Amino acid sequence: MNFLFNEEQTSLGETVGQVLADHAALTGPDPSRGSDAEVWAALAELGLFSLLVAEEHGGVGLGLVDLAPTIEALGAGLAPPLIASTLVATEAVNRLGDAEQRAQLLPGIAAGETAIAIASAELGRGNDPVFAECGLHDGRLTGRKIAVAGADVAQMLLVVTRTQSAPVLALVPTDAPGVTIEPHADIDPSAGLCRVTFDNVAVASAQLLGEGSPGALDTLIDLGATAQSGMAMGIAEVMLKRSVAYACEREQFGKPIGSFQAIKHRCADLAVAVEAGKATSHYAFWACSEDAEDRASAASAAKAYCGEIACNACNDAIQIHGGMGFTWELGLHRFLRRAQVIEHAVGSRAWHYERVVAETLAAREVA
Amino acid sequence: MDFTYTDEEHRFRLELRAWLATALPEGWGETVFEPEDEEERYLFRRDWDKKLSSGRWAGINWPVEYGGRGATLVERGIFAEEMARAKAPESLNIIGHNLAGTTILHHGSQAQKDRFLPPIIANEEFWCQGFSEPNAGSDLASVRTKAVRKGDKYVVNGQKIWTSYAQYSQWCFALVRTDPDAPKHKGLSFLLIDMSSPGISIRPLRQISGESEFNETFFEDVEVPVENLVGQENDGWRIAMTTLAYERGPEDCLGRQVRFKQELEKLLEVCAAEPTANGVLADDPVVRQKLGRSIVEVEAMRLVALKSFSRILAGDERGPDASVIKLYWSHAAQRMNEAALDILGPAAVLSEGDDDAMAGGRFQTSFLQSKAFSIYSGSSEIQRNIIGERMLGLPR
Repeated sequence: MNFLFNEEQTSLGETVGQVLADHAALTGPDPSRGSDAEVWAALAELGLFSLLVAEEHGGVGLGLVDLAPTIEALGAGLAPPLIASTLVATEAVNRLGDAEQRAQLLPGIAAGETAIAIASAELGRGNDPVFAECGLHDGRLTGRKIAVAGADVAQMLLVVTRTQSAPVLALVPTDAPGVTIEPHADIDPSAGLCRVTFDNVAVASAQLLGEGSPGALDTLIDLGATAQSGMAMGIAEVMLKRSVAYACEREQFGKPIGSFQAIKHRCADLAVAVEAGKATSHYAFWACSEDAEDRASAASAAKAYCGEIACNACNDAIQIHGGMGFTWELGLHRFLRRAQVIEHAVGSRAWHYERVVAETLAAREVA
Repeated sequence: MDFTYTDEEHRFRLELRAWLATALPEGWGETVFEPEDEEERYLFRRDWDKKLSSGRWAGINWPVEYGGRGATLVERGIFAEEMARAKAPESLNIIGHNLAGTTILHHGSQAQKDRFLPPIIANEEFWCQGFSEPNAGSDLASVRTKAVRKGDKYVVNGQKIWTSYAQYSQWCFALVRTDPDAPKHKGLSFLLIDMSSPGISIRPLRQISGESEFNETFFEDVEVPVENLVGQENDGWRIAMTTLAYERGPEDCLGRQVRFKQELEKLLEVCAAEPTANGVLADDPVVRQKLGRSIVEVEAMRLVALKSFSRILAGDERGPDASVIKLYWSHAAQRMNEAALDILGPAAVLSEGDDDAMAGGRFQTSFLQSKAFSIYSGSSEIQRNIIGERMLGLPR
């Protein structure tokens, strides 16, 4: 038993963190997508998109857990969410794709040529990421998805949809006839959230991922929720570090404010939350990699809890920075905004707590 | 990262599981439970401790030469899990094993190890902790209980407070002042005191739960042989810090997590069975949200402890990690207990002994008991200072 990352896993995360840090605009006060293409290219050159791809398809063959520190770094560096969604989709193709789909998709993904946006959320469905109104009938996809991160620059969409009988996952090229992609007006313009409308889009059965596999949708949710939890913890950790640094430097009443218990204790509570959140998220990464029995509850626990911790961490950081924290200039709002995007991606906090309970009660009945 | 177990670890688990199946009374946790009367319950736990010793399942992490199994941290984790699975009773001699024994193992002389460790592991001698005083709580280093050296004895005078299980203990380890003129951290010593010594009196304190686990302990001209000094005279603060690191460490957290998980299991059981106007409690979405968060936090306690275990296994020092863990479990457990009462609705106010109480009123008892978590073994405020200053590097 060992609950730590090895050196390769840790240094991979550090390297990705450095690449992101080279692009200061990512975390600057003005939300911008100006450097997204460069960031993508730099990470592709580093080989990030080949890591999860099997060697036979031109990749490295790592597991999701190997990328946990990397995904945290993506969160901490406010990387475009399309990067993480491509990694999640890669793992979904690994697990759910048939031989032909893998051979067709994975080499392009590994080379960084195929960015995949995940289209799941819809209006009118509350916070349920599972139930899709967006339907696939007689090989035609019709419906509307919202908050699809990076759809406007992606090559491919992984769409949660349903046939008459069951939910299915469909891979749809962004340039397929009948697909309309429009940017939203939203809380975090750097995330590239889009509305995607499918109007009678032709979808062949070869485009369906994990068709007939009852667990396909759960697999995508678990992978997605886990990745989101990692990014949430990246944000929470940055908020802790910045709060502590500011509390050491900012003086009032002739002393650094970090010497006052009102501030010190808030920082300590934040540090404890970060520790608990990371442990929960890291376990989810492991459970996904190993397909552990408790994969679903581990992933949902991580999504719900880490989302909550990240949102609170942003609140704490802004409060500790006082008036400066509320300025546009300081840029803490970027993390606050991104934390909201994460919070509402792949199902809300309430939906995931509910799933934890359902899984736990079901496991009790079996036992 | 790897959560799998070696064959040897798996064998360890099976051996323990098999032993527990024979050691616990038939129907344990289903139809047979601990005695309700406080005194009887402690006696029951003492007997359980002796049973654990007879099966060599007490102090498993201690070296083999002192009767332990030299269990690894991983095996201790397995131990905690299996105890949870079997709903095993709580140990009464936790202070003996985790604090007294561990401190003696680290800082005791060979003679002290030979004298004190075997009866701890055999659960023949139970221990209590003499740290806090009426005027030395969070400011522990200001203890005033004096020990004056006279020949080959120390003469101890003063008062300790919150001494849990003093009434059941044969021994007490105490932090006493041996040099009143030195700066407050530098004049303390660590003494092992025989609780049957003349001059010791105990007054039970009633807790908000109604129980009397802790006491005031008075020392009046109590003679303690010099050989019962642990380490050097006036080096007691450093030694006490070792004690505290174990009091707050991941081992402690894992053991407690087991109890909290049992509590949560019971709550789930009640929720799944208790009828409401439209089904059972567990069908109510608001109840489910509260349950969900508690399930996640109780699991996070285990994961936080395992993280810390792994760091220690990788060679890290025990440091402020212990404070992080203690601060986390104490408040997470309090939240769970709050949630439990919230979920039970009007029956939440009914106590043990009332015919209409749910689960024998145990959630109410736990709720009341949980208020101590954020106060004992270093209040949350002290833990936050430690984390803020020693881990985060914030100024004093």
